[in-house]
This record gives sequence, structure tokens and C-alpha cells, in this order.
Amino acid sequence: MAELITKKDVILKAEHIDKSFGVTHAVKDVCLDFSRGEVRGLIGENGSGKSTFCSMLTGIYPIGSGKFVLDGKELHVKNQVEANREGVSIIVQEMGTLSGLTVAENIFLGNEDRFVKAGIKNGGAMNREAQSYLDKYGFNHIHAGDLIDNYDFEDRKLIEIVKATYFDPKVVVIDETTTTLGQSGRQELYKHMKRIRDDGNTVIFISHDLTEVIEQCDTISVLRDGALIDTVQAKDVTEDDLKRLMVGRELGDRYYRTDYGEPVSNEVVLSVKNVTVPGQIKNISFELHKGEILGIGGLSECGMHEVGKSAFGASYDRTGEVTLADGTHIDSIPTAIKKSIAYVSKDRDNESLVISDTIRDNICLPSLTELAHGGLLFGKNMNGFADKFASLISVKMTGVGQFVSDLSGGNKQKVALARWIGKDSDIIVLDSPTRGIDVKVKADIYALMSEMKKQGKSIIMISEEILELLGMSDRILVMKDGEISGEFQRSAELTEEDIIAKMV
Amino acid sequence: MNELNLEKKSFGEKVGDFLGKPVVRAILPILGLVVITLLLDALTHGKILQASSIKLMLSQVYVLMIASTGVFMIMTMGCLDFSQGSMLGIASIVVCYLSFYSIPLAIIGGMLTGAAIGAVNAFFHVKRKIPSFIVTICTMYLFRGLCSYFASKKPVAAVSTISAYNTIPIKLGITIAVLLVAWFIFTFTKVGPNLKAIGAGEKASRFAGIKVEKTKWLVYIIAGAITGLAAFVNIVKVGSVTPSGGTMLETQILIALVLGGMPVSGGPMVRFSNVICGVLTFKILASGLQMIGLATERSQLIEGIVFLIVVALFSDRRSLQVIK
Repeated sequence: MAELITKKDVILKAEHIDKSFGVTHAVKDVCLDFSRGEVRGLIGENGSGKSTFCSMLTGIYPIGSGKFVLDGKELHVKNQVEANREGVSIIVQEMGTLSGLTVAENIFLGNEDRFVKAGIKNGGAMNREAQSYLDKYGFNHIHAGDLIDNYDFEDRKLIEIVKATYFDPKVVVIDETTTTLGQSGRQELYKHMKRIRDDGNTVIFISHDLTEVIEQCDTISVLRDGALIDTVQAKDVTEDDLKRLMVGRELGDRYYRTDYGEPVSNEVVLSVKNVTVPGQIKNISFELHKGEILGIGGLSECGMHEVGKSAFGASYDRTGEVTLADGTHIDSIPTAIKKSIAYVSKDRDNESLVISDTIRDNICLPSLTELAHGGLLFGKNMNGFADKFASLISVKMTGVGQFVSDLSGGNKQKVALARWIGKDSDIIVLDSPTRGIDVKVKADIYALMSEMKKQGKSIIMISEEILELLGMSDRILVMKDGEISGEFQRSAELTEEDIIAKMV
Repeated sequence: MNELNLEKKSFGEKVGDFLGKPVVRAILPILGLVVITLLLDALTHGKILQASSIKLMLSQVYVLMIASTGVFMIMTMGCLDFSQGSMLGIASIVVCYLSFYSIPLAIIGGMLTGAAIGAVNAFFHVKRKIPSFIVTICTMYLFRGLCSYFASKKPVAAVSTISAYNTIPIKLGITIAVLLVAWFIFTFTKVGPNLKAIGAGEKASRFAGIKVEKTKWLVYIIAGAITGLAAFVNIVKVGSVTPSGGTMLETQILIALVLGGMPVSGGPMVRFSNVICGVLTFKILASGLQMIGLATERSQLIEGIVFLIVVALFSDRRSLQVIK
């Protein structure tokens, strides 16, 4: 395969590209060659680093370390306009056009100078040129002089295609654009991808739709956890091969539970019935038993995170019922907390923790009522309480007065857990409890979960990591497109493939 | 995306880190108060610390101190209130009208008026989700207009016997009572940690079980009622309201609190001592500059500069973007 790539003319080389956001290592030492005249698929799970990689290529983020070499010349771009001048452009995942401007102004954003003579912008010439491009692309129904707000999402994506490609860039990045396009929009996009390739330029195509990737791409590169896993020929692989490359992980499961076949109590502690959150989840129903670890898995956008929020009474516009064994309806966070439900969000910095507050306050907040004696709260009691539970799960800190924002991801997560251990909640909802956490702390969290189970507490663990689900859960619910698509009991025979088959 | 800059820190950032330390934050405002007092005392050849000047300054402190206590709670949540001046004006008019019937009724009326205006602010901020500074700037103009409507022909005067309450024990007593109650609640109940948490992060506070919306409603209403009480103290002293009654109070409160070391964005760094230190520093600075013999315009200029310096030094840039 290496031979095949060297045979072709390399247009873009990524050399040891690396990038970190704080403690998250988003892209790890990626080296990739892109050939002239190819459509290259770039796939990987969410957070695998695809978008970050392309954002560095196109100047949206500064490069952490390493370099991009385009046509033998190192790229130094600080923003998208500079990237365009060098011949690299991007169609972004989100809305990439600006409201309040005309179609033509959007297309020539950052390049208005070419229509300026003696300080005056020739709007007519700009519109005429934009219209000629629109016509050339076959988008005659779009008028260059109109405000972009007059067009729907799909047309605005078509305008973005023109904006990103009219100047014949050497490399065009298309970042998860198809998810927002309908069938006809997709066909238009595919047509232009082929045209760009046939002109001898290169398309980097990011998508979660594996069928589409295999059909439209020549070669496919797979990223996982920020690292490059492999580059394969599209005609040689099946969707299953790609899934395995994307999701597969090294076997590091020695710290998971080892018991199998132990019965779980029949006592239902929480029942979720026909819960729907518009645009997120549809008709979700399940029961949680005493002393059970219930795993919920799926792709990131499958709605499973919202299920956790719903069980905690935190979803907006929820319909359906979340009921406790004693018949209490959980429909607000204060009720949930009062009734011994705990929730650790996937969004650690915005939801799980008040990060610009102290460790003390973070641990004490839900327990303030219990901490007060006759309504009176003393700093001494708060310090003692926070210190007790932070020490219990060994949070690395200078003291409980330290700010949570100064802690590493793993330690932040420990503070979030300490809060609920202190509250002594009976039902604990953990969303992605080990996301971005190193192996050592991961093991601590798994041990803690086993300990809670032993104490008869019930846990809902929502996770994107399949091995974690297999390793820790008594039962696994798999979700797809906002609905439960499969249910598995704990078993040594259960494999990743079984789960993935229901996820995708 | 938050870019964590873990590399070399500039001198400014180092100064910021030093000033951000809790111990420094606790001591600096008190130190500032002492230094400003001594400096101005020296410049005025000992006039500031004379009994007569202290008495004069005290007489000007009450209204600002009482009203600042309420705004202190609002600002701890990371919100602002610019309608305080107009609120004081309207509440003072109500106090005047009702003083002809009975003084207790006047006090209650003033407080209810303040509470009602606080509720209007809370409605637009909490229910309609408009940033508090925009809401309160609007209500500032709205109620200033109402104030002029009632007082433009001639000042609204209170019953003349109200001046019987114009004694130091009563005014000082009310002020100290407000401070004590607020200090107690802020320090020894869950109100303090809850308000600080809201200031530090509203969403995360919600997930910790704090009733964010309800808390905001209550704080705006209580702060309004406290300002209503300040309106009574104001009327006791001045006896009548002109269309401009209470003008600039909101700015004075903001400057005073910030001089007292209060972070503009609220949150966990807030301490109750910020109110007392801030109001005293502000009043001593203002009267000291006058005693030196500076014209009002020039002393305002200096106050403005001092304010800017303090804000620049004390604001926590990480959280400034979350002012609500």
C-alpha cells in the first residue's frame, strides 16, 4: 500500500501533527500523505481528532506541533482566508455562512479587495461574478444579490460549496457536511467532489456514514483517540472492517469486574416510562434494579446522554415518567437530589462541577441542608465534610480551598464523585465516567463502582466505550437514533461486535 | 475552545495571580481603606479624622451602605442592578406620600415599592432571559421617568414631623441592623454558598440542585426591599424628593463594592467585608478629595481613575465573560 501511495504524486504531507487542549490530547503525532487527484475519507469516532486535524490544516486552530507541507512548501496559515490563498479550503460541519450578508458577499468573504477600486466596492461586479460561479455549479435557483437569510440550510450549504471551491483550491476539506444535507444536496456535493478530483485536486472527506465513505472515497484513513490507525483502499474494505478499525481498542480490561452470572435483585428502584425529549430521545422505557449496574451505550449522538439527564429531572421539555419505587415522580433536579439520585454529567466543566469555585463548595453544595445545624452553616463543618470525602477517594489537592479549575481531568471527576458519595445517594447516574481520564484513576473509578454495587446502590453508566460497558455492566442497553435498539445481559461471551452491530 | 496557556506568564498575569490569592483579596481592601484614609488625612492636615468630619461622613454613608448590601447579594450571583437610583427615587416618593398617614406604613410602603421594582427586574431577567444589566438599565430609565412625573412640578415632601427620626441612633441602628442580618444570613446559612455558586457557574449550580431561578427572584426582591428601607433613611434626612432623587446611586454602589474588593463577576471570591470596606473607602475618598479643595468635577475624575485601576487589578479575566 505504501508503494501505491508513493507511486502517485503527493500534494500534501502532514508531518508529526500533534495538538492538545489542556489535558486532552486531541491529535497524537499524525503523519499522513495525500495524493493529487484523490478523494480521501477521514473517519473515526467522535473525539478521535478528525475535525481538530483538519482545523489545524485550514488555520482554524493553531498547530500544536509538526507541520503541513503543501506542494513541497510548508504551510503557515493563521486563518481560513490565508489558507484559501495557499490553496486549502474547508466546508465546515456547522453553518459556515454569515447571516445578514448577501450570497455574493458570503462567497467572497475575506476577498472583497478584488472588487474594490479606489476605495469603493463595486457590488455589481461582485454579484455578477458570484452569479457566474453559481450558474457554473448548476445552482441557478440561487441569486447572488439576495440576502443569504432567504435561503434554507441546504441551499446555504450549496453556497458554501461554491465559496470553498470556486478558486480551484488544491485541497478541499469537507467536514461532516452530508449529515445536514438531503438526498439531492448530497448528490450535488458528490458531483463536485468528483469534479475536484478529476481536475487533479484533492478532497478530504469526513463523514460518519460509512456506506457513503466507501462509495465516494478512493482511500480511507482511520483515526482513533487522536492517533492514525491505518490507511486503506476503499475498494478493499467493508463497513465492518472500518467499524472494527474505528472502535477497536487495546485490551486493557484487567481492571474491570471479573464476576459473571451473579443474580441481580428483582427489586425495581427506578422506572423510566415512555420518556421522550424532542429531538433527542423517543419513547425510552427501562427499569433499574437494586444493586445493578446498568450500562447504556451507543454512538455519541444516539441520545443516551439525554437519558441520563432525564433520569435526573434535568431535561427540558421532557414527556413520559421517571418514577421511584415509592411512587415519587422525578421531574426536577432538586426533587431528584432529595430523593437520593446523583448525576455526574459528561460535560464535567459546565454541568458536573462549578469549576470556578472551590473543592469545598463543590462537594458541599447538594448537602448544605444536611450540613446545617438548626439552619446554621459553619465553615468548619463544610471544611470537615469536604475534606473527609475528598480524602476518601484521594483527590490530589493542596486543600479543600483549592479551585476546581486548577485540577486535572481525573481529579475533577473525583471531586464530582466525592460530592455524591458525601450525599450518600442510592441511585447514581454516571455519564462517561472515565472520559479523558488516565488508567490509574479509571481503575479507581471502577473499584468505586463495584464498591457501591456491593452496598446495594444502583448505577446507570452511560458510556461511549464498549469495553467499559462489557466489563462493568450487569445489563447493557444499546441505543441508536434516540431509541433503544438492543439489550444484553452480562456474559463472558458477549463481544464488542455484538454491541457495535446494534449501535450503527 | 479554551486555550490553556501554560507557557510563560507575563508580568501582568503574575500580578493577576498574586492579587487573585484569597489571602491577598481579603487583606488588600482593608489595607486600601487604611492607606487612603491616612493619605487623605495627611493631605488635609488631619481634617479627615476629626470628630466633625467623621460625623458628616457618617451622615452620608447610611443610604449607600444599606442599598449596597442588597446589591452585594445580586452581584455575588454575577448579576448587576443599575436601577437602584431610580428605585430609591420612587420608593422615597412612596415614603413621602405615606408618611402623612403613619411612619411604619411609610417604611413598609417604601420596602414594598423597592421589592416590586426588584420583581420587575427579576421577571425580565429570569423569565425572559435578558441579561440583567440590560434589563436594569431599561428600568433605570423607566422609573426615573416616573420619578420626574411625580416630582417635576414641585418636590414631593414628607410630613414635617419625620425629621424627628433624623438622629444618629436611628439611622446608624437601621444600617447596622441591615448589615448584621445580611452578614449573618450570608455567612451562616446556605444562602452564601448558593449565591457564590450561581456566580461561579449557573448551569453547574442547577445540576448541583440549586434552584437558580427561584433564588434570583428572591434576591432581586429582597435587594429591592432593602433599598426601599434605604429610601426611608434618605427621606428622614432630606425630607423631600426632587426628580433627580437617588440619581447615580447605582454607580456609587458599583464603585463602592468594587473598591471593597468585590469581583465584578461575583462568585466564590466574594466576601461580606467587601460591602463595608468598599462603602467606607468610597465615601472617605469622595469627601477627602473635596476637603483637599478639589472641585466636584475633578474629584469625580480621580474617583473614576481609581475605580478603573481597581477593576483592572481585581477582575478575574477567566470569569468576566459570564456577567449576566
